[in-house]
Amino acid sequence: MGLIAQTLADGLVLGGIYALAAVGFSLIFGVLHVINLSHGILVLMGAYLALIFSEALHIDPLLCLPAVMAVLFCVGYCYQRYLIQHAVDRASINSMLLTFGVALMLQNAMIWLFSPDMKSITPSYAFASFKLGPVNFDAVRVSALIASLVLLSLLAAFLRYSPMGRVIRATAQQTLAARLCGVNVRHVYALTFAVSAAFAGAAGIVIGIILPFSPNDEGTWTLNAFVVVVLGGVGSPAGALIGGLLLGLVSTLTAQYVGPAFPNVTMFLLLVILLLIRPQGLLGNAFSASR
Amino acid sequence: MKRREVLTAGLGAVALAAPAIRGANAQTLKPLVIGGSVPLTGAAAETGLNVNNGYVTAATYINEVLGGVEIAGDKYKIELKLFDDASDPARATTLLQRQIDEGTEFFLGSFGSNIVLPTAAITERAKKPMVQTGGGSDAIFTRGYKYVFGMYPRATRQFASAAALFKTLQPTPQTYSVIYNNDAFSKTAAEGVKLSCDAQGFKRLDQFELPAKVTDVSSVLASVRAKTPDLLVCVVHDQDSLLIARQMVATNTNVKLLFQGLGPQLGSYREALGKYSEAILCSTYWDENVPYKDKFFGDSKKFAAYYRSKYTRPIAYHVAGAAACIETYILAMQAAKSLKPEPVRDALAAADFETFYARIKFSPEGDGDPLALGGMIGQVQKSKLETVFPEAAKSAAPVYPAPTWDKKA
Repeated sequence: MGLIAQTLADGLVLGGIYALAAVGFSLIFGVLHVINLSHGILVLMGAYLALIFSEALHIDPLLCLPAVMAVLFCVGYCYQRYLIQHAVDRASINSMLLTFGVALMLQNAMIWLFSPDMKSITPSYAFASFKLGPVNFDAVRVSALIASLVLLSLLAAFLRYSPMGRVIRATAQQTLAARLCGVNVRHVYALTFAVSAAFAGAAGIVIGIILPFSPNDEGTWTLNAFVVVVLGGVGSPAGALIGGLLLGLVSTLTAQYVGPAFPNVTMFLLLVILLLIRPQGLLGNAFSASR
Repeated sequence: MKRREVLTAGLGAVALAAPAIRGANAQTLKPLVIGGSVPLTGAAAETGLNVNNGYVTAATYINEVLGGVEIAGDKYKIELKLFDDASDPARATTLLQRQIDEGTEFFLGSFGSNIVLPTAAITERAKKPMVQTGGGSDAIFTRGYKYVFGMYPRATRQFASAAALFKTLQPTPQTYSVIYNNDAFSKTAAEGVKLSCDAQGFKRLDQFELPAKVTDVSSVLASVRAKTPDLLVCVVHDQDSLLIARQMVATNTNVKLLFQGLGPQLGSYREALGKYSEAILCSTYWDENVPYKDKFFGDSKKFAAYYRSKYTRPIAYHVAGAAACIETYILAMQAAKSLKPEPVRDALAAADFETFYARIKFSPEGDGDPLALGGMIGQVQKSKLETVFPEAAKSAAPVYPAPTWDKKA
C-alpha cells in the first residue's frame, strides 16, 4: 500500500513538472499552428539563465523566475516576429525546418558558451525531504511542482480574463475575424510565442533544480512536450496539465511495476493508442470549437 | 573561460590537421598522419572533450617541445586529423570511411562503445590499426578483430578490482544491487559487476535497468529502500549518477556503500553534491601520483603540468588515457621500425611499454590487460578523490561503512 502511494505521489510530482515544460509548446501549436522544435532549447536557456542569475546574485533559483521569464519573453517575441513569421509566410512546413535548424545552432552555441559539461542548480533545500504518512516527498521536487501549478494557473487566468488573453484566444479561433476587428495578428502571434518562451524558461528553472542538465538535453524536453500535448490536447494549460500528469503517472507506475527500462515503451504505446482513438487529445483543441 | 576551453580544444584539433599552420620546424619533418573522430558535441561531448584534449596535448608536446619523433631513422611531426562526430555513430563511420578512402593509415578512437564499435568494424575491414580509450564494451573485443586496441580491460573485466576491494572491507558486505542504463557499455559493465561480485560470494538482491535517458529514479529507490543492499553499484552515465545520488539523499535512501562507475571523478559532480559526495566510490584509471616513468613526458606529474599550461579544464583520466594512445602508437612504430599498418599492428599486439599512464599491454583480443591496465578505485574523502585500491597505488584507507546522509549533513 505504501509503495503504491509513493509511486502515485512520485508520478504526480513528475507529471506537474512535465506539464509546465509542455505548456508553451502547446500554446504555440494551438494558436500559431507551429510545431516548435526549438522548444527544448528555450527550456534549457531558462535553466542556464537561472544558474547564472542565482550564482551571480546568490539568491534562490526560484526567485530568478521573473528575470528569466522577462528575458525569454523578449527572446521569444523577436524570434517569432523576425524569423518564424517569415518562414510561416512562405509555407507552414518551413517553420518546422527553421525551428529544427535554430535548435541545432543554439545547442552548439550553448556548448561554446557553457561547455558540454553537466550543470546543476543546487538550492539550499536541494537535499531536504519530508514524510506524509508512509509517503516520502523530495522537497525540491515538491517546490518544483508547486511552482508549476502556480504558473499554470496564472497562465490559465491570463488567457481567460486578461484583454490580451482574450485577443490571443480570439485570434486562435478566427484569425480572419480578429483581423477584421482590427487585431494586429502578427503582433498577437509574436506575443503568444513570447509568453510561451517565458513559460519554457520558467520550466527550465524548475527542471534545473531537480535534474542535472547539459546542452544535449534539449531533444528530451521537446519530445516530452510533444507527447504531453498529444495526450492532453492542444492550446490550454488544462490540457498540458492533464497530459503531463498522465505522462508522469504512466512513467512511474511502469518503472515500478513493469521495469525502470520501460516507461518510454508505455509512453509511446499510449501515444499511438490515443492518436488512433482520440487524435485531438483528452481535452481536445482549446480553440477548435468555433473553427 | 569554459567557452575559451572548448574553442581552444576544437581549434587545436583543426590546427593540428591544417598543413597551412605548420611551424617552421615542421618544414623539415615528415607528417605522421593519425585520423579519427571525437564527440565534441552531443551526448558524449563532456568526456569527448577530455579525450580530444588528451590527443592534442600529446601531439602538441611531441611536436613543439620534443621537436617531433624519430621512427626508423626519419623524423616525423604528428598530424592529427580529428573531426567532431557529434556523438553520432553514423556520422563517425562516414567520417572514418572518408579518411580511409583518403589514405589515412592509423586511427584514434572516439568516445563511447556505441561509436567505437561501428568505427572499429570499418578500420578492421580496411586493416588499419585503431588505438582507443573510449570503448570498453565486450562486443568490441569478442568479434575476432585484430587491429583494434583498447586502453581499458573489456567491460566485464573492469569490475574485478572493485569486487576485490569490497572483499577486504570490514565488516564484510554480504549483499549488493546494481543499477545500469539500457546501452551497450552499461549493460556489459553490469554483467561484469554481477560476474565479479558473484565470484566474490556477494548475494545479489536486485538489478535495475534504466532507460538511456533518465529523468526520475524515485521508483527504483523505493525498491532499494524496501530491499536494502549493503552495496549499491551504479554503472550509469555521469548525469544519471548525480541524479541517483541527489534523489538518494532527498529520499534518505541509505546503503553501506555507494559505488558509481562514472560521476564522482568529475569536479562538477562533487561540487553539486557537496558534503554528500563523501565516501562515494568510483573507478579511476589514472592518477597524477602513479609511479610510472615515461620516455616523452617523464612522468605523470610532468604530463599534468604540461596539460595545465595549455588548458584550464580540470584534468581527468580520459585525458591521460588519450595521450597514452598517441605514445603507444609511437612506441609501437619505433619497435616495428615501420609506418606500415601491419607491422605496427603486430608491435601493438606485442606491446609491453611503460608510459606515464600505465604499463601498456593488451590481451590477445586487444583490450587492456586486466593486471596492467585494470582500474583503480577512488573514494571521495573531504571533497577530494583519494585512491583506496589497489594497495600499491593507495593514497588513503577506504571509509566503510559510509556515514548515512543525515550524518553527512
